[in-house]
Amino acid sequence: MTVKDRTDGPQVGDAIALKGGLTRRDLMQRASMLGLTAAFGGLGGMPAFAADFDMKKFAGTKISILMTGDENDHRALNDMLPQFVEETGMELEVTSPALGALIEKTLQNLKAEQSSFDLIEYLGFLTTQQVGGGYYEQLNAYIDNPEKTPPDWDVGDLIPAAMKNVGIFDMATGAVGEGSDIYGIPGMHSGSVIYFYRKDLFEAAGLQPAKTWDEFKAAAEKLHTADVAGCSFIGANDFSLAAVDWYTRFITTGGVLMAGSPKDKTFKPQVSSKEGIGALQMLIDLLPFAPANVTKYGFAENVDGFSTGKIAQMIFWSTIAGPVLNPETSMVAETTGTRPVPSGDGNSPRAIQGGWGLGIPKNIDPAKKDAAWLALTWITNKKVNRYSIEKYNIDANRTSAFTDPELVAKFPYLKDALKAIETADTIPTSRIPEFFQLNDVMNVEFNAALIGQQDAKTACEKVQTQWEDILRKAGHLA
Amino acid sequence: MSLQNTPAAATKYVFGTRDEPGRATWLLLGPCLLYLVVFSIYPLFHSLRLSLTDLTAATGTGNFIGLENYRALLVDPQFWNAAKNSAIMMFFSVAIQVVLGVALALFFNLHLRGSWIVRGILLLPMLMTPIVVGVMWRALLNPDWGLVNWAIKQVGLTPPDWLGSVGMSMVTVVMVDCWQWTPFVFIIVFARLQALSQDVFEAAQVDGAGPFVTFRRITLPMLMPAIVFAAVFRAVDAFRSFDLIYGLSYGGPARSTTTLAFFSFQNGFQFQNYGYAAAVAYMMLIILALGTTLMLKFVQIRPGTSR
Repeated sequence: MTVKDRTDGPQVGDAIALKGGLTRRDLMQRASMLGLTAAFGGLGGMPAFAADFDMKKFAGTKISILMTGDENDHRALNDMLPQFVEETGMELEVTSPALGALIEKTLQNLKAEQSSFDLIEYLGFLTTQQVGGGYYEQLNAYIDNPEKTPPDWDVGDLIPAAMKNVGIFDMATGAVGEGSDIYGIPGMHSGSVIYFYRKDLFEAAGLQPAKTWDEFKAAAEKLHTADVAGCSFIGANDFSLAAVDWYTRFITTGGVLMAGSPKDKTFKPQVSSKEGIGALQMLIDLLPFAPANVTKYGFAENVDGFSTGKIAQMIFWSTIAGPVLNPETSMVAETTGTRPVPSGDGNSPRAIQGGWGLGIPKNIDPAKKDAAWLALTWITNKKVNRYSIEKYNIDANRTSAFTDPELVAKFPYLKDALKAIETADTIPTSRIPEFFQLNDVMNVEFNAALIGQQDAKTACEKVQTQWEDILRKAGHLA
Repeated sequence: MSLQNTPAAATKYVFGTRDEPGRATWLLLGPCLLYLVVFSIYPLFHSLRLSLTDLTAATGTGNFIGLENYRALLVDPQFWNAAKNSAIMMFFSVAIQVVLGVALALFFNLHLRGSWIVRGILLLPMLMTPIVVGVMWRALLNPDWGLVNWAIKQVGLTPPDWLGSVGMSMVTVVMVDCWQWTPFVFIIVFARLQALSQDVFEAAQVDGAGPFVTFRRITLPMLMPAIVFAAVFRAVDAFRSFDLIYGLSYGGPARSTTTLAFFSFQNGFQFQNYGYAAAVAYMMLIILALGTTLMLKFVQIRPGTSR
């Protein structure tokens, strides 16, 4: 069926020119700029059209996907494999190693003559490295072609911030989220940081959940007992020490991480700024009210500590809502509340943008590209997103999944998680391939400050010096 | 015609001469040579070439930059920190393991009743994969729910901050390494001890030598080849230590347990600076080659001691 055959008039997402000469892509961009994507998303479903799209046109094709095994995404996908086979007639082989091995395998395949994986999931922080390296197929032609894209795969329903973080990339300037070229689709989950607190403890102490960092500290002090720590944070030499706990405090107290641009070699860090030192000092000041061993607490220790009722409040990746709010894995599922992260005076709550993208390597068998795209649309469709939230409390990528009334009633944290994703900040250093190296330097020095090896000022100054050195060597700073 | 009937002619035909290897020689050596070329020699040269380039995942150019990576390494304080940590770990691990290994070998040489059972159990840590050992000990030493800290608290003591303090973390890494590899030194020395001729000891006894003199003048010199072998083997292994660090301390805190192997891993697989990581690996190779040569030269095995 062609667009001409339709009788219901132009729709959002059509490849043909819409009113004013807009394509589906243009409309989505403009809609996202106006914050109207969610509204357009609601118009995305086209059941009459959907009935004629042949989902089984690639039946018998085997598609191989490389994705993270560190989260629950692969579990959700594996659960739904029978449905995938039934609906598409294709076979899907899932390979899901841990992050380190995933990056290694990804790079090997992207640089090989032909990739063994038809679909690859990449971390949003690696968009510049992997998408910017020119390894992925540009997807605009697929999205705009109604013969290739199932009509109920609603591009306007994808959260714009997630789309900008992992999907849109300007090859000419090397900028994430700029331009109109799409190389990846948010999948299988996105996420940011929200505030978790114990409703029962706060109520008993006559406290309101913290809206400012001062209130956060005051609550920590008041709620701290021998059995329950007043607060917690990532204190170990761990990726999230810098990315979650320091960076959230930094940007919500007015900090701006980088000045200038890597393109014109003026990409200068501002870690040793007043806000940078202040954000680290906040963590140091919380040590007396945190678990005794918080400087060894990474992701798992905090989730375990909170789930077993030993922590009164913390800010954390919203993806942990799953284990923390699930009565089967948490002792405090019924008494945990969520809110947007606290912020400093005059600043609004926001945190780092996380999440993953899903793309088609350029170097796969050309004959399989259309089939890979169809598989990609299936994996990122509404029902898979909804299932991911319902079964695993994964932060999905679609507005419809976050705003589904039934799901919201069941999981009230969704509205905070959606708000966090929509307002999240793409950390500027993820624009350059040295992101993980910069993050490592920060984690090491900040951890050293937390264990008392140095003060906040020294730690930030050391990070500043080392970052400048790395940036100069990489040619991002003159 | 069998080889037995006309040995000289057949041998020449099949295996060739010393100067001219025959077809069979190449057929027999072929698989082994192919294996060496594919899995040892090619990777060795490939990584050497890599270390002379600026290859990163980002650029993917791999431009030849000569010795620039090596020059950068020599002025990189993190490289020297990792080298220092590797040296500390190697020195203390090997020293403790040799002392304990020899002591255990001497003890088990007394052949006390039931000692064979203990001996078998003692060897178990050595059979475990280092990454598993690392993760297992990290759990055992967990400050909140680890078994070790719990046991220490039961007797009224305060457990140390095993992996959380700069001063203690390397001690913990060395301790765990010794737990796993002392049995290796023990088994090598014990095997040697079992093979020593009893005549020498009987002669010493007849000459009136006491246990200490016998040990210092006879047992120890005769054990030296085994001790040196075990020490060199363990030194090389400890210097390259990666998986234990990865599982146990992840190089921290504050890079206090970052060894050269871990530093190379970080640069290669976390930061995707392949050229730089390959240079670190080659520096390790150079240090190890020099170190092993010096060690063998320094620890002279005296002639005439059943070398």
